[in-house]
Amino acid sequence: MNDHGDDVQPELPGRARRRLRSSRLIQYLLLQAVIAVAGVAVLLQSLPGPPAQYQVTAFQLTEAGAERAVTLPYFSPLRNAMNDPPRFRGHFVRPAGEASRAWSVFLPRFTNGVEVTVNDVVILDSRRDPAANRPDRNTPAIAVIPASVLRDGDNAISIRLFIWGPITGFLDRIWVGPDEALRPTYNLRTLVFVTLPVVFSSWQAILAVILGIMWVMRRHEPAYGVLAAAMAVGVGQAFLQTPMGETPFSRFNVILISSAPIESALVLVFALLLSGWKWQRYAWIIFIPGIALALAGLFGNQALVRALFLILAVPMVGISLLIMAVVTARSALQRQNVASFLLGCAVTIMLTCWIVDLLSVFQMMPNRIFTARLSYSAMLVAIGAGLTWRFARALNQVDGFAGRLVTQVREAEEKLKASFAREEERARAAALARERTRLMRDLHDGLGGQLVSIVALSERGNGSAGIGDAARAALKDLRLVIDSMDDIGGDLMLALGSWRERAMAQLRPHDIALDWRAVTAQGLPVHPELRPWHVIQIVRLLDEAVTNAVKHAEARRITVRIETLAGADGLKRGCITVEDDGKGFEITPDGGAAGAAKAARGLRNMRSRAARCGAELELSSCAQGAHKGTRVRLTLPHRFPDSDGAAG
Amino acid sequence: MNSLSDGPRAEAITVVLVEDDAPTLWRLQDALAKAGYQVRAAGTLAEARACLAQGAPKVLLTDLQLPDGHGVDLIRETRRRFPDTEIMVISILGDEESVISAITVGATGYLLKDAFPTDIAATVRDLVAGHSPISASIARFIVRRTQSTPEPPPGPVLNTTKLTPREIDILWGIAKGFSYAEIASHLGLSRQTVPGHIKSIYRKLEVHTRGEAVFEAVQQGLIKL
Repeated sequence: MNDHGDDVQPELPGRARRRLRSSRLIQYLLLQAVIAVAGVAVLLQSLPGPPAQYQVTAFQLTEAGAERAVTLPYFSPLRNAMNDPPRFRGHFVRPAGEASRAWSVFLPRFTNGVEVTVNDVVILDSRRDPAANRPDRNTPAIAVIPASVLRDGDNAISIRLFIWGPITGFLDRIWVGPDEALRPTYNLRTLVFVTLPVVFSSWQAILAVILGIMWVMRRHEPAYGVLAAAMAVGVGQAFLQTPMGETPFSRFNVILISSAPIESALVLVFALLLSGWKWQRYAWIIFIPGIALALAGLFGNQALVRALFLILAVPMVGISLLIMAVVTARSALQRQNVASFLLGCAVTIMLTCWIVDLLSVFQMMPNRIFTARLSYSAMLVAIGAGLTWRFARALNQVDGFAGRLVTQVREAEEKLKASFAREEERARAAALARERTRLMRDLHDGLGGQLVSIVALSERGNGSAGIGDAARAALKDLRLVIDSMDDIGGDLMLALGSWRERAMAQLRPHDIALDWRAVTAQGLPVHPELRPWHVIQIVRLLDEAVTNAVKHAEARRITVRIETLAGADGLKRGCITVEDDGKGFEITPDGGAAGAAKAARGLRNMRSRAARCGAELELSSCAQGAHKGTRVRLTLPHRFPDSDGAAG
Repeated sequence: MNSLSDGPRAEAITVVLVEDDAPTLWRLQDALAKAGYQVRAAGTLAEARACLAQGAPKVLLTDLQLPDGHGVDLIRETRRRFPDTEIMVISILGDEESVISAITVGATGYLLKDAFPTDIAATVRDLVAGHSPISASIARFIVRRTQSTPEPPPGPVLNTTKLTPREIDILWGIAKGFSYAEIASHLGLSRQTVPGHIKSIYRKLEVHTRGEAVFEAVQQGLIKL
């Protein structure tokens, strides 16, 4: 039941629910604001640099034919400067005695490419490094200055800044100094801006595979397919490099620039689908910027592509992020689930980074470190966590469902069994009733009438009372057989009711009183397993007890006690006691009656009948005293045996 | 038991006895005559009708299987012609097959053919006094019919819908072998009212009024079968 706990909205009146929802919205927005502020604060922290003494900031810049003094960092107004790149000329001093140490030039950040010359010797051209060529990555560069080039004292350094768009050129402060002083900072930047994105891209590749498999197995959930496509595009963008220079493939490479809008469009579609939105035809407009950019890359020139990138891709990413922020916020508030909440936080982080990047493009930030791409990793982590959460929850639900199903199937099976048994029981009872009706008619038409005639004739003849008694006994037994075949629904009291009548009719001519005492209110427990042959055995046993009292004991009163007793094992057992106030007899040690062989046979009969029903028979007799008489006590079993106990 | 002393009162009571088995007829006739009843005996349906033509008896005792017809018809006729006549069926086994079919046409009890003479006289006396006899097995049959079952059980048709819960309780008590006194004390009744309840139960199980109503309704087209 608790599997759905997070989907159940508590039943609240409208006003209270509105208040709850608005308070949740405020809490959510506050949290996102805190995340955004924290993000900005982190982004404003400048990365640690090498010792300031090696920093070189004063340069003489030759740009577009004009020459002037500048201090780094420098934002160039140019978007394209390949043939006549801005040239920075500066000086640095190597103290004497440093010759034994290798010196390096460290350029933490530049767009798009640099060529570094020391003392008129080119020591670095970043255009040869594809990874460094991408303006969206903050790839640092370091170059060791050959010892032969350096001299003690003043050295000349010249940097040419190649700019090929889509954003304006930029050159951060540079450091020239001993390699071991610069290298740690370089390594740190490489780790954060080169290695970490590769790690995240690998993670993205794994996600693409997992999501692809999930979509293949679950075609009805297109959200996974869309996200897998987004991941695949991201991986392609990360690992396919864009070398400078015109190669036959460079035109296709240009398509890669459209990856950002396509990927963001795909992720947006995923977020929409995840929040329960149904795909609409008009939604293709989401992909228009990306497709337009790709087509421009294929058929236009690079300059056009780069120009379009700024007006298509960057806003597309931002708009996607904004829509996702709204959608995930709604989803998180309505469904109150962890996946939407994590995604919402990730979107906020990304949006913050995107805004900061935009500001830095427009030179409103002191530096130019792009973090949007890096923060995308936050989103990937959120997506991974959310998916795992959903997967685990789905597994739990499946387990719960399977468990419920097993229980239900078992219940249904038991019900079926019970109803089958009931049906069988009913069919058996109906068959018995039909058989009984048939038997009754036969006996009624034949044997019964003849017996009655015998009774009547013997009475007229006067001298043959024995025949009359025998015929009467036969009739009585006939009635018992018919009676015991009736369906009494396991209530032995119904059989005893008829027996009482017959016993009274039998005792009346002998002037023996029958004292009938149902001690417990409902008499005897109901035994659904009670069968006609059990009833016959019990009634004949009781008949025998009464007949003994009439014939041998000279009793004046017979008492029948019917009660339900709780045994030592806590089970209820019926108990029937037949007691007379006659002369009693001696009971031999083996349980038989001392005296007439006939009486002994009668007692043996009673014992055998009790045993066949699984009942206990207790005989006691007392020839003298206040308690003289015979007592037959029959304790019924808790459950009557299915088969004849004496057969074995 | 002491029925002979009731002679003067019983003298006025006429009993029509219908039984085709001669020895059985004799012993029943003897038992009743000794108790002081005025008995008119018949061996066939025709003889029985002739006896009834002489005037309304107080009591009609009849067997069901007769050489020239069925006792059920005799009971139905008598019930219609002489509503004040008490009718009992003579049964060999006291089984519900014969007893219930007699009850549904107007009998209010049964007599076992092998009953002791004193019991025969006592039963008739009780019947005249308004105490309809009922056996545990008949009571059991009736109450089991009051319990709803998916399909009609075998045996004679019986409509128990008119019985009140109290009457059903009384029948349960009888079926389980309780005496009238025990039933009366369980149900908070006066002991004397129990036999009256039993007669009322028999009357409610009589089917002819209802059957005629249905017949009438069908004839008039009120009910489509």
